[in-house]
Amino acid sequence: MTLGELIFIFLLFVTFCGALTTVIARSLIYALVGLVATMFGIAGLYIYLNAPFIAMMQILIYVGAVAILIVFAIMLAGPFYKKPTEWSKVTKFLVSLIIALFTYLLFMRIILHSFLGGQDTAFMITTKDIGRSLFDKLTFPFELVSLLIVVSIIGALMLAIFSKDRK
Amino acid sequence: MERLTDIIALVGEETVRAIAGLIGVLIVVVVNAILLTWAERKVAGHMQRRIGPKEVGPYGLIQPFADTFKLLAKELLVPKDVAKPLYHLAPILIFIPVLVSFIVIPFDAQLQVKDINMGILVILAFSSLSVFSILIAGWGSHNKYSLIGAVRSVAQNIAYEIPLLLSLLAVIFMANSFSLKDIVEAQKGLWFVFYQPIAFLIFFVAGVAETNRTPFDLPEAESELVAGFHTEYSSMQFALFFLAEYTNIFIVSAIATTFFLGGYSGPVLPGIIWFFVKTYGLVFVILWFRWTFPRVRFDQLLNFSWKILIPLSFINLLVTGGILKI
Repeated sequence: MTLGELIFIFLLFVTFCGALTTVIARSLIYALVGLVATMFGIAGLYIYLNAPFIAMMQILIYVGAVAILIVFAIMLAGPFYKKPTEWSKVTKFLVSLIIALFTYLLFMRIILHSFLGGQDTAFMITTKDIGRSLFDKLTFPFELVSLLIVVSIIGALMLAIFSKDRK
Repeated sequence: MERLTDIIALVGEETVRAIAGLIGVLIVVVVNAILLTWAERKVAGHMQRRIGPKEVGPYGLIQPFADTFKLLAKELLVPKDVAKPLYHLAPILIFIPVLVSFIVIPFDAQLQVKDINMGILVILAFSSLSVFSILIAGWGSHNKYSLIGAVRSVAQNIAYEIPLLLSLLAVIFMANSFSLKDIVEAQKGLWFVFYQPIAFLIFFVAGVAETNRTPFDLPEAESELVAGFHTEYSSMQFALFFLAEYTNIFIVSAIATTFFLGGYSGPVLPGIIWFFVKTYGLVFVILWFRWTFPRVRFDQLLNFSWKILIPLSFINLLVTGGILKI
């Protein structure tokens, strides 16, 4: 086993343990710690795949922004809200089985139908390439995403304004 | 000497460079913290017409060592109801971004652990981890003061990270690179602080807020929250939080130096001296702030960021982009 493979296995281990903690942990804050570990593991895998820009963005966005927002959600929700009714064990098992199977099939389909390897030499995606493709080739999806964000910001503002009167 | 070259040939130059870099980084972190604990007390003293520490060593220079040994010798107290894994994880976690940031900072033209082509992103990405560890510390301590401090810290960091990023982005536009070394090289003619005075001010204000220093020290406001998120920590764990805080002050000043004040470039003297002179000049300003400005209220703090700094940095970015394109 080479050093590279060892690092790869370690990153997989971190990602896997983090994901497992996220799902299993009883306390929300432990689940969040697990989620952050997963994000770091995935960022490590991106670096392993020679895509450092995406790795840094992964940490910046998911750890720096999304995880912190989840913290806010946890703290604001607190214990005062009505707890959702627990499902019975059989329902839980069935639902998780269905979801697991669906995800498995979906991912197998994607993996089997995508290009596998092919290139002999490692290639490097620079920030310039990403910027070029975002603003040249993929302008339309890029603009669509920005539209989606604007709509969600306006939606959040509307919710904030209208819930003010109710208090 | 021959054996040394043999060893270098055996393990590869890159590995030797990395190990030497890590040792260098640790030395800088420790020396900086020792210097800053002394400087903070000395500056505080002179600002208030006292003389500060003077008994231990000449000008009280040995005082920080005495403090360090005191902290090391103290018992590690762990309160009864803390969430043990989180409580012990936090002081370690807060140190990771501190060490990672040092990898990409260019101290001199040749003196840099590694010149990564997206250096600033590395610093910004990992600095989000320090908020997270403050949060874990506050949550794990099972203490209401700690928790309030942690929540304040999170709200503050979300508010000030945006203007911080946007102000740096204006400089990145001008230098056309994420690499800190390229940014320094781009300032050979005129420092960016003269092209981007607004961005510099925004960055410095946001940087002071990100390091939780006065006037933005609400997460650890002594008069309200005892000591904020590190109330329940003692001995070396407490020391680690303080080490991280002082190193963060250094890092913010070092980034400001690199981005706006021409980094290591300067006439006559070698680059490394210029770098440290500029950086510690900014550090002194931050220490100065502490005894000049009273603590802001929390609504003032958030309003200032969301209503003034963020719109201002957006306008600055738009103007910069527009001028560069024309």
